Amino acid sequence: MALFTEAFLTALLAGAISAGIPLLLVGLGEQMSEKSGVLNIGIEGMMLAGAYTGFLIAWKTESMGLGFLAGAGGGMFVALFMAVLCVRLGLNQIVIGISLTLGAEGATAILHYFQFSRTYPRLPATLKWDIPFLHDIPVVGPALFGREPIVYFALFLVSVFAYLYRRTHFGLALQAAGDKPAALDSSGVDVLKVRAVAVLTTGALAGLGGAFMAIVGAGIFVPFMTHGNGFIGIVLAMLARGRPLWVLGGATLFGACLSLTTALQVAGIDIPTDVIQMLPFAAVMVVLIVLGSKANLPVSLGTAYARGER
Amino acid sequence: MNRKYTFMAGIISAIAITSTPVYSEDIESIAILTPEQGTDFGWNQQGVDGAKAAGEATGVEVVTAENLGYGDVRATLRELAEEGHGLLIAHASGYNTAAPEIGTETDVKVAIVDSPSSLKEGAVADYTASGHAGAYLAGHLAAKMSRLGTVGIVVSGEPPSWNSQSAAFAEGVKAENPDTVIRYAVIGPAAYADAAGGKRVTESLIAAGADIIFGQGNGSSFGMLQAVETTKATDGGKVYFIDVIGDKTSIDKGHLLSSVLWNLTPVYTAMIEDIKADKFGTRNYDINLADDSVSLLKTEHIPDDVWSQIMDLRQEIIDGNIVVEPKFDAASVQALVTQLD
Repeated sequence: MALFTEAFLTALLAGAISAGIPLLLVGLGEQMSEKSGVLNIGIEGMMLAGAYTGFLIAWKTESMGLGFLAGAGGGMFVALFMAVLCVRLGLNQIVIGISLTLGAEGATAILHYFQFSRTYPRLPATLKWDIPFLHDIPVVGPALFGREPIVYFALFLVSVFAYLYRRTHFGLALQAAGDKPAALDSSGVDVLKVRAVAVLTTGALAGLGGAFMAIVGAGIFVPFMTHGNGFIGIVLAMLARGRPLWVLGGATLFGACLSLTTALQVAGIDIPTDVIQMLPFAAVMVVLIVLGSKANLPVSLGTAYARGER
Repeated sequence: MNRKYTFMAGIISAIAITSTPVYSEDIESIAILTPEQGTDFGWNQQGVDGAKAAGEATGVEVVTAENLGYGDVRATLRELAEEGHGLLIAHASGYNTAAPEIGTETDVKVAIVDSPSSLKEGAVADYTASGHAGAYLAGHLAAKMSRLGTVGIVVSGEPPSWNSQSAAFAEGVKAENPDTVIRYAVIGPAAYADAAGGKRVTESLIAAGADIIFGQGNGSSFGMLQAVETTKATDGGKVYFIDVIGDKTSIDKGHLLSSVLWNLTPVYTAMIEDIKADKFGTRNYDINLADDSVSLLKTEHIPDDVWSQIMDLRQEIIDGNIVVEPKFDAASVQALVTQLD
């Protein structure tokens, strides 16, 4: 039986997109946080909280839309701690970020234990929007143009953020909050408020990414299911050097590599699985080596801002 | 004089022999550590349930430490050792470095998985349990039931237990029908909880023509199950799932064909008895078809005549007419799955 059929190639491409979308959302979120000067290590925990709340509401209400909203809310709730503890009180961002991730892992695992661990409810197949004509293109059509509305929304966000950073005062304020917070403060803009908005937006996007994994990616919530995607999002944001389009490129590359590993294995290529499995991570490392040295991180990244201090 | 010494030596020997139980170790409690909750219908649940049943059978208290994740569990191991448990069962291959280390540090016996060569008398025992004989039967079942002549194997990693079952499943498929195509894919490195990855990879295998999926994966197996429930085979028909270790019948939506069931109670019971007899760490523990510590789940989707044939094969394995050798390395699995066509 021929392996590389249209159905198989479509599944691989669709799989690459399904793997890439959560990375895109979380990467865009982390990028905004870093622009404002907050290194958000807690983003994995925000994803996990979004995965849990998103799945819970989608399952309870049988509405994917409400599930995604709840996912964004769940991520934002965890981000609220980051905003208060790191932005407002100026505590160490790395320590708090790790604590939030560990806390979210524990909390969601306990909640899952009490609610789902005997029944493991699963969602039905997700609603998809077929874009006329484009959907009929072989392989690419069903994989890219016959997708869940959240996929189109995530792609739309790339241009929204690109516009925000380049054309708006808020974009400029974000940049200044990360590079020269004192200067921003002098100009009458509240640095802490800008950073808090950035952190909360990050939480919402990370939560949305987690909800995507639970609702579309898996159709179920299980503990620890974000599987390090938040941390990969941090790497993507750092490599993207402030450009949303580059986050999209990185997420696409990573998702494509994941699908390629499946294709190579299913084809039965005589290469040890461990070597094949390294592919996505090796690709990120190559990009890191090529672009990492040029990565322009904000000067005040990871540093708390207190008015009057220099 | 010589007779006197011989008599005294005899008395001393008799005392030594009859007094052995006095010196053998008493054990009042054991603890088991699992990476996920013991309610996963799989690896973790079988570990916790098996330990509790073994404790009940031997009159030993059992403490469970669940949901510890796949990272560093040294702190939990130390804490449990300080509580005075006589045996720590580290129920994850990722714990088999930390557990012997903490066992030595605290002088507490530990049981680990997937490291048969780590046996240490009085200190470390291994239970690289493998349901390979059951997986071999599952392979026969899959080949008999496949409409499209293609079956898939999806795994969340390549630990020895998974490898031996994947290899035996492939051997069973080929023994039943050499023309059946086998597609094999690993979700990712240690992707045990990656449910989204499980679904994504399973969907790819279904698109590659598989109508029966043999899945091994802890939390990620729920993603595999979701994929077979929401994706049609390439002929538009139903896709079936063969699970391992646990019984997911109660949460099945009509796609669970079977499962290679494990029962770890005999393994843990033997460990406790070996501690009492001062023989801990002198042997590896395994599960097998003969004592039903490995069995194949019968569901309503399996026709009676097919099940009867599978049970005949089971008996042949027990009788030794069919020998299924465990193959614990990933290379053996690779050699058995179909190459590029």
